[in-house]
Amino acid sequence: MTNARRPGFDGVRARRRRAALVLWAVGLAFSAAAVTLWAAVGCDLNDPDRDVKRLFPESTSYKTLYVSIAKKGGAGLLREIEARLGDPFTGLFETADVPYTMYEIYKGADLIGYIHGVNQKGRYGGLQVFLALDTRGVIRGFYYQKLTSRAAKAFRDPAFGAQFVGLSLEDFYRYDVASGKDEPSGPVSRIVNPDPASEDDFRATLRAAKKNLILVDEFLLGNRHLKFFKGWAR
Amino acid sequence: MRKIGIFEVAYKNLLRKRTRSLLTVLGIGLAAWVLVSLFGFNKGYESSLNKDIDNLGFQMLIVAKGCPYEAATLMLKGGTGLKYMNEDILSAVASEPEVEGVTAMLMQVVFDPNKGESGGLAAFLGVDPSTFPTLKSALPFKAGAWFTEPLAYEAVFGYEVAELEQREVGDLYLIPEKEVEVRVVGVLERTGTQDDGTVFLPLRTVQRIFEIRDELTAVGIKVAKDADIAAFEEKMYKLPDVQVVSLSQVKTTIMTLVSTARVMVFSIALIAILIAMMGVVNTVLMSVMERRQEIGILKSMGALAGDVFKLVWLETVILCAGGGLLGTGLALLTARVTDVLVRNLLPYSPSGGLVVIDSGLVLMTLGIVTAVGLASGVYPSWKAARMRPLDTIRSEEGS
Repeated sequence: MTNARRPGFDGVRARRRRAALVLWAVGLAFSAAAVTLWAAVGCDLNDPDRDVKRLFPESTSYKTLYVSIAKKGGAGLLREIEARLGDPFTGLFETADVPYTMYEIYKGADLIGYIHGVNQKGRYGGLQVFLALDTRGVIRGFYYQKLTSRAAKAFRDPAFGAQFVGLSLEDFYRYDVASGKDEPSGPVSRIVNPDPASEDDFRATLRAAKKNLILVDEFLLGNRHLKFFKGWAR
Repeated sequence: MRKIGIFEVAYKNLLRKRTRSLLTVLGIGLAAWVLVSLFGFNKGYESSLNKDIDNLGFQMLIVAKGCPYEAATLMLKGGTGLKYMNEDILSAVASEPEVEGVTAMLMQVVFDPNKGESGGLAAFLGVDPSTFPTLKSALPFKAGAWFTEPLAYEAVFGYEVAELEQREVGDLYLIPEKEVEVRVVGVLERTGTQDDGTVFLPLRTVQRIFEIRDELTAVGIKVAKDADIAAFEEKMYKLPDVQVVSLSQVKTTIMTLVSTARVMVFSIALIAILIAMMGVVNTVLMSVMERRQEIGILKSMGALAGDVFKLVWLETVILCAGGGLLGTGLALLTARVTDVLVRNLLPYSPSGGLVVIDSGLVLMTLGIVTAVGLASGVYPSWKAARMRPLDTIRSEEGS
């Protein structure tokens, strides 16, 4: 018996056709959304309500801000930020038009801190490094939202993230991203790489943290840590 | 003294009532504009849809019965439910005369514990380097190219997955769960399809990494242009334990929906043309009635009924041809705007131009509008030609 002669086959065909059409439409809807979001990818919290509460248990609300280097200062600002980072923004996916999503955290009407995440190129894939900061820009929480590494488990260990707590951009300005050295030796050099075989990912993490802090300082803290940066005359 | 031709007389007659003539030309112009834009849409939409489907590389997909055939579906099912077909199916399908090309695919999904807070799924599509790039020749590369050899540990990243993983040509990528390194050899441009989120690997490499021998999850089929896709589809249904996913069904459904809308819009265009036609008849008839005495004098001076008929008919043709030119000009000028408007109104628009206006279409519309003019002019011209000189002169004296 061929398919065409099977009882109810027309119904099956119709359902299949409808299903195919729905899939097609869904695909196209996603495509349309993809086209709308043509700009480079940002780094948002996967579940802001849950994540904000986890990082700031005392918070009552939060505000989301969208900023970009291109909008605030363009190529000039990009060069300044690269100088503060001590390393150029590279690759197809680290450009001035990357939209940064920053979260202002409130307890009642009082601002109590910030959360910000950045994308960073790792050895085997993208890293998403999030920092929770107090209003002075001091780290109170660190975590990877995404991580591709052979030593992912070690990096995700809370003990590793805890080493970042209490540090600020003042400490990270002494850390040279290009050489991986912290001179004169300071708190950043005391952060221990949990897997020496994954040095690339460790250094990528430190670069991401420094980049993250510079962006928060630039966009949210009014460059209050800029005085600690020695290499750039504004 | 310069002798003037019949065309010049007709033209000057129209200029005597400029506003009325202009409004008539405008009415015809608007009708012609709608007509050209509609024909242009008809042509553009179908050709863009065909192009989009051609760019997909294959119009038909064969998967094992019950197997999810899209990465999105697979993700929704938590990466489970993959079913396999033996590679033998490839030669069975390729031997069919309707088939222009086939390509084998093997999809695999792994759980990546480091994706997000509680992990996520990562999908990999193994494709045959000897056939897939040929069938998907429209896939544009942002950087790099396809795999260097069939067993290479190499990957081509879709645009979005490359962006998420921050991968560029030359970078390494670690396949979660399997802890196998592959090198990125190509990054695709954004296509707006699910290819943007796909990591492509050579088929044999996926079979080796995931320890799957001689099995596939899908076969993509490019059907020959002149083949009867519906009949071929029926033939494929007879293969044991497979399901056929055909884009021709989708295309037919979309075209049916578009055709319904098109019939409605064509009806509106037809009404617009009829209204314009009535406007022409009214304008020319009024003009004839106003010139009764003049026509009478013309006839008494020796003009034949045919000459009067020709004169009035020519006036109608000039009005319609002018309107036609105005309408096609407007349609050409506003084609881009129409494209944007239609694109915003339709639930789905293909990626190419939606309104395509070429010289053939312009000539056809001008022909239709002129024919409408010729038909509209028959009655007023006949009425003018039948006027008797003495009656018309007498009626003017009496009035």
